[in-house]
Amino acid sequence: MYWLSGGFVFKRVVSPFNRLDPRVRLLIAAEFFLLSLMAQTIWQIVLLVGAILAISAVARSLRRIGRAVAFSGVFALFIFGVNFVLGLGLLHAILYAARFLAIISSTSVFFVTTSPDELEQIMKWMGFPRDVVFAFVTAVRFIPVVMLDASQIMDAQKSRGLEFEKGSLLKRAKNLVPILVPLVVNSVVRSGELAEAMESRAYGSTPRPTSLYAMRATWYDWAACVLSLALATAAGLYIYHHFPFG
Amino acid sequence: MSARTSGPGRKTLASVERLSFRYPDSARAAVRDVTLEVGEGEVVLLAGPSGCGKSTLLRCINGLIPHMYHGEYQGRVVVGGLEVAKTPMSTLSENVGFLFQNPENQIFMFSVERDVAFGLQNLSVPREEMRTRVDEAMRLLGVSNLATRAPHELSDGQKQRTALAGVVAMRPRLVILDEPTSLLDPKTALEVAELIGRLNRELGITFIIVEHRLELLVPLAHRLVVMEGGSKVLDGAPEEVLSDPRVESYGVNVPPISRLYTSLARDGIRLPRNPSTPEELAQEINDL
Ligand SMILES: Nc1ncnc2c1ncn2[C@@H]1O[C@H](COP(=O)(O)OP(=O)(O)OP(=O)(O)O)[C@@H](O)[C@H]1O
Ligand SMILES: [Mg+2]
Repeated sequence: MYWLSGGFVFKRVVSPFNRLDPRVRLLIAAEFFLLSLMAQTIWQIVLLVGAILAISAVARSLRRIGRAVAFSGVFALFIFGVNFVLGLGLLHAILYAARFLAIISSTSVFFVTTSPDELEQIMKWMGFPRDVVFAFVTAVRFIPVVMLDASQIMDAQKSRGLEFEKGSLLKRAKNLVPILVPLVVNSVVRSGELAEAMESRAYGSTPRPTSLYAMRATWYDWAACVLSLALATAAGLYIYHHFPFG
Repeated sequence: MSARTSGPGRKTLASVERLSFRYPDSARAAVRDVTLEVGEGEVVLLAGPSGCGKSTLLRCINGLIPHMYHGEYQGRVVVGGLEVAKTPMSTLSENVGFLFQNPENQIFMFSVERDVAFGLQNLSVPREEMRTRVDEAMRLLGVSNLATRAPHELSDGQKQRTALAGVVAMRPRLVILDEPTSLLDPKTALEVAELIGRLNRELGITFIIVEHRLELLVPLAHRLVVMEGGSKVLDGAPEEVLSDPRVESYGVNVPPISRLYTSLARDGIRLPRNPSTPEELAQEINDL
């Protein structure tokens, strides 16, 4: 599970792709996302996935993005199965499953190369309200803390004789209660303490807080932006021209 | 030794005048009729049994009470000329910093330097100035080399130093610490105590510190205040308060050195003063 989730978790890497302004990376990922939705033949999808994998190789994240694809492979099979059973035909079933994989890999390219810090800046730049951005930041920030919390509570309860891996499904579900209750209590205490600490450090005192970092687009970012837009538009027009929708 | 002598001549930085506070859902007041003056540059230790109102008093000094916690509030608290109850938290936060017990729950951002900048961002400090102040605070607290680390990649001591850097970056005149070392191992706790001493000497920051491990902080404290049941019961130079016969009945952990001093005195061996470190004790015995 942990191995698979690595396909969506940021890792600091130096590469020509990671050097891009995070907004440009978002744009490129969004272009692939849209093209994957538009693509009408399996070959188009194969080309798209090929391009995404080439970018992942440049971003030196081929392995991690591969994990994301492996992870979603199960769902892709499911999509294939459902479509096939519904009688949409083999070709369509394959197309839908492949399209799903293309969408996942384009999303994964963005998340693997973008730090939570950059996500925060993008959200601010897009004009999300400050409280929403901050809620997102703290949620991501506390994921590892809460995970650690949970594993410590599990160990503590195990040492008191609680057995998680035994019994029927219902019994196992019931076994989660002694973990969830302290976990929730901890989180409530934590959020109270966080609120005090935020308040003590002037949170909310101005509607427009400043930031230590700035996103600054250089000629390199603009070039990538223009080039990717041109290519994506061309690809989109090609698809539309040969396979008009409806 | 002279650095530790408290006393007259200090300008008052914070004053608590006949303060009482009761939380809305509790029957009795958590702080009762407390009066306390803290001088500029002083290090004041606050001790007393659990539930005696120490944290509540601290919240009253930095403004969490009455701005965040509402309740029955009587009396007056003034810090740096500002009346706490009538000053917005944002202004107060530039004058009074607050370091809490659990470092985990006061680090919000994904990297050390971003977190140190948190308060400054909220105050809309321009970027260049922010950079300078963040770098300066990180250097003072010895976390410059951790600037881009994520919080989950830090030890508890490093987290506590990061949180303190975030407080110091706001350049407060008074810093309040609520059991800052109780979750740290003894060696790391000692490091944090030494940092507090340095910030006090080099930047002249005033400190009010709640701490159970008194032996750690008595060497750098000018004053020791003891509370019980919401009231202030003892207040004076640490040496004096620790030799007071009542002090242990208030649940104060008298450091072994002080206890030795008191029992020596009981046996008729009077040292000139209550020592706070083994070195001082050795010196005094030598001088006898
Ligand atoms: N948020 C709150 N709401 C209601 N009552 C509270 C709240 N916080 C503290 N109290 C009560 O106020 C009294 C004083 O608590 P306070 O936390 O100030 O004590 P303390 O001296 O800091 O104790 P400790 O050493 O355990 O931290 C206690 O009786 C406590 O139960
Ligand atoms: Mg307390």
